[in-house]
Amino acid sequence: MTTTADRPASAPQLATTGTGSARSRGGERRRQVAWVAAAVVIIAYALIPVLWILSLSFKEGDDINNQRFWPSALSLENYRIVLSSDIFLTALRNSVGIAAIATTVSVVLATLAAYAVARLEFPGKKVILGSALAITVFPIISIATPLFNLWRTVGLYDTWLGLIIPYLSFSIPLSVYILSAFFREIPWEMEQAAQVDGATAWQAFRKVIVPLAAPGVFTAAILTFFAIWNDFVFGITLTSTEAARPVPAALAFFSGASQFSQPTAPIAAASVLVTIPVIVLVLLFQRKIVAGLTNGAVKG
Amino acid sequence: MAAIDIDHLVKEYPNGFRGVNDVSLQIADGEFVILVGPSGCGKSTLLRMIVGLEDITAGELRIGGQRVNEKAPRDRNLSMVFQNYALYPHLSVRENIAFPLRLKKGVPEREIQQRVDEAAGLLELGELLERKPAQLSGGQRQRVAMGRAIVRQADAFLFDEPLSNLDAKLRGQMRSEISRMQRRLGTTTVYVTHDQTEAMTLGDRVAVLRKGVLQQVASPRELYEQPVNLFVAGFIGSPPMNFLPAHVRGDQLDTPFGPIDLDERRAAAVAGHDLLLVGIRPEYFEDAGMVDEVKRPVGTTFRAQVDFTEWLGDSQYAYIPFEAEAEVRDRLRSLSQELDSDQLRTQAVVSIDAASRIREGRQAEFWVDTRKMHVFDPRTGDNLTRDAEAGAELTRQVQHDREEEAGAARGGAPAVIDVRGQGAHQAARPGDAIG
Repeated sequence: MTTTADRPASAPQLATTGTGSARSRGGERRRQVAWVAAAVVIIAYALIPVLWILSLSFKEGDDINNQRFWPSALSLENYRIVLSSDIFLTALRNSVGIAAIATTVSVVLATLAAYAVARLEFPGKKVILGSALAITVFPIISIATPLFNLWRTVGLYDTWLGLIIPYLSFSIPLSVYILSAFFREIPWEMEQAAQVDGATAWQAFRKVIVPLAAPGVFTAAILTFFAIWNDFVFGITLTSTEAARPVPAALAFFSGASQFSQPTAPIAAASVLVTIPVIVLVLLFQRKIVAGLTNGAVKG
Repeated sequence: MAAIDIDHLVKEYPNGFRGVNDVSLQIADGEFVILVGPSGCGKSTLLRMIVGLEDITAGELRIGGQRVNEKAPRDRNLSMVFQNYALYPHLSVRENIAFPLRLKKGVPEREIQQRVDEAAGLLELGELLERKPAQLSGGQRQRVAMGRAIVRQADAFLFDEPLSNLDAKLRGQMRSEISRMQRRLGTTTVYVTHDQTEAMTLGDRVAVLRKGVLQQVASPRELYEQPVNLFVAGFIGSPPMNFLPAHVRGDQLDTPFGPIDLDERRAAAVAGHDLLLVGIRPEYFEDAGMVDEVKRPVGTTFRAQVDFTEWLGDSQYAYIPFEAEAEVRDRLRSLSQELDSDQLRTQAVVSIDAASRIREGRQAEFWVDTRKMHVFDPRTGDNLTRDAEAGAELTRQVQHDREEEAGAARGGAPAVIDVRGQGAHQAARPGDAIG
């Protein structure tokens, strides 16, 4: 970027000397300042709410009314309240369990389906991919009420399975879409070579295709996990008790230390706690995700 | 080790197109057979049918006497080297080579390592074993692919244009390495290529395919000297055979380069035809001034205008345009299209002595050796003057040589083969650094 900006400016510099180069350097500086300023604004816009929640979570008792950004004194009281609260702990168990099961099932099924979509020619293949894409942009709120009624009739209301099923139906199409693009980039010949080398179709898939598509599988898994972990709509409409209520929904029912105080600070602490696994996952798999989103599956 | 019997194989696609049409070919145990032809002739399809990656529509394929039509690729015990090598990018060179062994149940780890090391030693891959394919040069990848093929001791090796992704220099080295490896292991080999240098130098026998139909299977020499038709004659040889229009006048052929006398056998063969094509290879021509008096009588001389010349140091080519009627022009044009070449004008390429002073744009006198010329029917493309017995004799000789060589390799003259092998290795070294 700097070189392209330099070149037109430095050409007249030879003729006019001095002033031209000063002007172009000034322009360059201004441009850099503008970029930094824009970056700061965007980062601040994204991070201030997070910091605000973090700060709230450390404020003790009435300190949330201190009319300042930072707490007067660091306190872990809210975390103690949250971690000793049954509502939060069972909700956390529900969230972890449901997200883990749904993600695993979704990725396994999607990997197999995407492989079929990428490798086989069958009528209606385009329709399948098209509808997969359509489902990912489908407004889930519109099926929340019908599902509520249906689940109550068939007895899936307020169960883990009752949440896992709708999660699967939304996450599998997206994963199929992502993964089929990955599989399509793996040359047919890899598999054929494996078959000639003595592999069954399943061995060729497991030992050659899946390792090559690993970045794609990771990407799909993490996107699915986040979507389920963060879901509020199904979590609040399809549950009524602690039997299946996940964290985002449970936070709304949080009461705090006593029923007379606003539970703002404990909710902030709970929010911080449920954000931690997501951050850990992102940090752990950052490379893989970036590679998954930007690279093809096979190089060289 | 096994013989491969290709018995009236047909590959028909759903739209009715026949990619391989009734091909029959017997490949003997230990033989090196080349499938060659222009792109789209069905040679790769045929290879993939042998290995089991394409279904067989009709006919029978037998490996070691057993019908394998219905067998999956993994049950045929063949190994294949793909055009782009198809190495597994996530596995090290060692694991790439070990892959086929790991898929077999019950091969102990010790034996796997030992066989990988053996294959690596044979192909000089020792130092590269822990690398990933992405870190290798083209020639090295090629060798890894070969290592993976030989490690399983398969019944036959199949190569699908294995050298086409390498540069010209490396190609020559790998060619000699493949040849050396095949002779040493004595494994039946089917090799697909469109490069006729590979076809001529590697194969015991060469099968020429055209639009899915087998044209001729013979030793390279027989293909060159006794081609069955216009297609084979035009495909084998570089620069290609010249085809001149000719009319029969008594016991002479009237060509753009003057009359050519016919001997009795040829005269009988062409009797009854009107328009013919005479096929004369470039090296049958010579600058008339450079021809021995002794040789002169076996050919005829003519004068012609030289369009231009190419001097290459050891040899020299002159290009002589000639007139041809529309029918011949069309025939030659469609032939050159079929052969993937794009010769636009009707001209003869003649090879003359490098010392010849013939210069472009002038008239010059040429001599042509008519003993080895062939006469083709332009409508059917058939070679009317092919001497089948002489051709078969050429192929028998090659077969004899091969058996002798195989016997020597098995019967204990390994020192000779080793020496030759090392020569090939040393030649391969500098190129690797470049590639």
